[in-house]
Amino acid sequence: MEQTVFEESDVTTTTPPRAIIGTPIRPYRRGVDNAILGGVCGGLAIRLGVRERTVRVVFSLLALISGVGLLLYMLIWLALPRTGEGQSIANRLVGQRRKFRHILLGLIVIAALAWFLASLGVPNLGVFTWPLWLSLLALFGVVKGASPDERRHLEELLKSAPLIGKAASRDKRNFWLRLALGAILVYFGLRLLRHFGGAWGFAAPALFGTLVLLIGVLILLAPWWLTTLDDLSGERRARMRVEERSSVAAHLHDSVLQTLTLIERSAGDEAAVTRLARNQERELRAWLFDPEHGASDAPTTYGSLLRALQGEIEGDYGVTIELVTVGDCDADERIVALVAAAREAAINAAQWSNAPTIAIYGEVETDALELFVRDLGRGFDVETVPSDRHGIALSIRQRMQLQGGSATIKSIIGAGTEVQLTLPRPS
Amino acid sequence: MAQPRVFLVDDHELIRSGIRSELAGSVDLVGEADEVEAAIEMIRERLPDVVLLDVHMPHGGGLAVLRALNGTCPSVRFLALSVSDASEDVIGIIRAGARGYVTKNISGPDLLDSIYRVAAGDAVFSPRLAGFVLDAFSLEGKNLQAGDVDPDLDLLTPRERQVLRLIARGYSYRDIATELEISTKTVESHVSSVLRKLQLSNRHQLTHWASERHLN
Repeated sequence: MEQTVFEESDVTTTTPPRAIIGTPIRPYRRGVDNAILGGVCGGLAIRLGVRERTVRVVFSLLALISGVGLLLYMLIWLALPRTGEGQSIANRLVGQRRKFRHILLGLIVIAALAWFLASLGVPNLGVFTWPLWLSLLALFGVVKGASPDERRHLEELLKSAPLIGKAASRDKRNFWLRLALGAILVYFGLRLLRHFGGAWGFAAPALFGTLVLLIGVLILLAPWWLTTLDDLSGERRARMRVEERSSVAAHLHDSVLQTLTLIERSAGDEAAVTRLARNQERELRAWLFDPEHGASDAPTTYGSLLRALQGEIEGDYGVTIELVTVGDCDADERIVALVAAAREAAINAAQWSNAPTIAIYGEVETDALELFVRDLGRGFDVETVPSDRHGIALSIRQRMQLQGGSATIKSIIGAGTEVQLTLPRPS
Repeated sequence: MAQPRVFLVDDHELIRSGIRSELAGSVDLVGEADEVEAAIEMIRERLPDVVLLDVHMPHGGGLAVLRALNGTCPSVRFLALSVSDASEDVIGIIRAGARGYVTKNISGPDLLDSIYRVAAGDAVFSPRLAGFVLDAFSLEGKNLQAGDVDPDLDLLTPRERQVLRLIARGYSYRDIATELEISTKTVESHVSSVLRKLQLSNRHQLTHWASERHLN
């Protein structure tokens, strides 16, 4: 039921529950939406375009071979970043010396535990137990190095664990029965293993013991497992939807409603209304289509500098800037100077031309950057510039010449002005 | 020229009434629709010269209308109308067969101009669309192999490039004609030729967008 509701809504998630075969290659990532434990199987399923269950079965079977699958699982958990996160847990651990020291400590504790058990007479299966010990160590690493988001996920998982959580103990009698049966089987499994363990001649009983042990563990954990499977994906998706909706609502409230109120208040002032509407439109657009640019406050490319310029002029002068860019490149100080010159030209046009719209066109070519600022306003005679406007034209030219570029100003009285700025690129 | 017969498709009553009042007396408004199904049916029935088509509507939007009518009424020309000029929207709707694209903040006279132009069989490029085409057809940074390039479809002629750059700089067709010392008719034919390339070219960037949105 929840599934269908989700499918019909417009919310899109970054990790689809299952890959569509033939889609472009996705990076290896651990799953989030389809994660049960670490999202390893889910992530692999998405990457490989197979069913999650298949990957889970393969890992479970591998785990039966002396725990190799378990170790593999833990290593992938450590090595692969979670979807939406830049760093893997291993990366994060190595990056933080303090946590790394904790891991060393963990290693020592586990070694001591192994030694302690061995000295108590618990059978040491020699080389076949090391995957288990290493996995335990890896789990320690995961707990230490998990990101806050993942930690929350693990805590949730722990809360619904059979002995503590309420999820598994809805039916009391069932719960005690299960506990008793599971415990007995685990006990017998351990007994069998202890009795025959290590001796190669008794491989069959040892295997049988393992099997009994596993069945016991399964019975103990089954309800937890099932409820987790059922609830987790649905719950997480529902929560994601709620979170997304509330963030949209917050944004709409913060910016759009505010602007609407302002517009209502300045209903008589046409210029103010236009300015407010344009501002809001630009902001909303940045938020909708360009979330990354919207978030970062320091523009770093030629294109983003021009977009910032557009916003500034529109906000300050109430004109519309028609901005078109072709190509983009990183901004250095020469480009900052170029945009500063364009700013002078645009302010000039906004203040003097009386044109409601100014067109800015920036093109990145292999050998040069070209920038045009054009208005269809009243224009002026370039030869006889009034003295108060002389400075602006001068400052545009000087700025460009300082950077080895040039500025050309064409203007026809009554038909408009176009300023062309050219900045050669060093090859 | 007789007044073109115009059909209006938009799901917002406010927008429709605004356009209606702006076009009143200058075109022959033959009908309106506020949803995809009705639009398809009525366009088939009334065969207008120009359909003003809103891009964003429930149940598939303008794209659904274009695809449903694809090829069945060749005399009908489509001019897309949208609040957004995000390149994804533009490219999808143009490749599906629209002859032009204008944003809803276009002024009345400009809209009228665009309608007449589309009715005459020409293309309408906004500065943004021109900039986008220049970007998509630029030679650098695209790993095209020599065999992949069909010069008839995948490359712009220097003249077409010039015309597009002037459009992107905010020039009207008449201004471009003056600037390049050619006739307005020639400018129009250059733009139409670019439109054809945009619709038919297999350039990676174009097909990528198209296939990602299942337009092919």
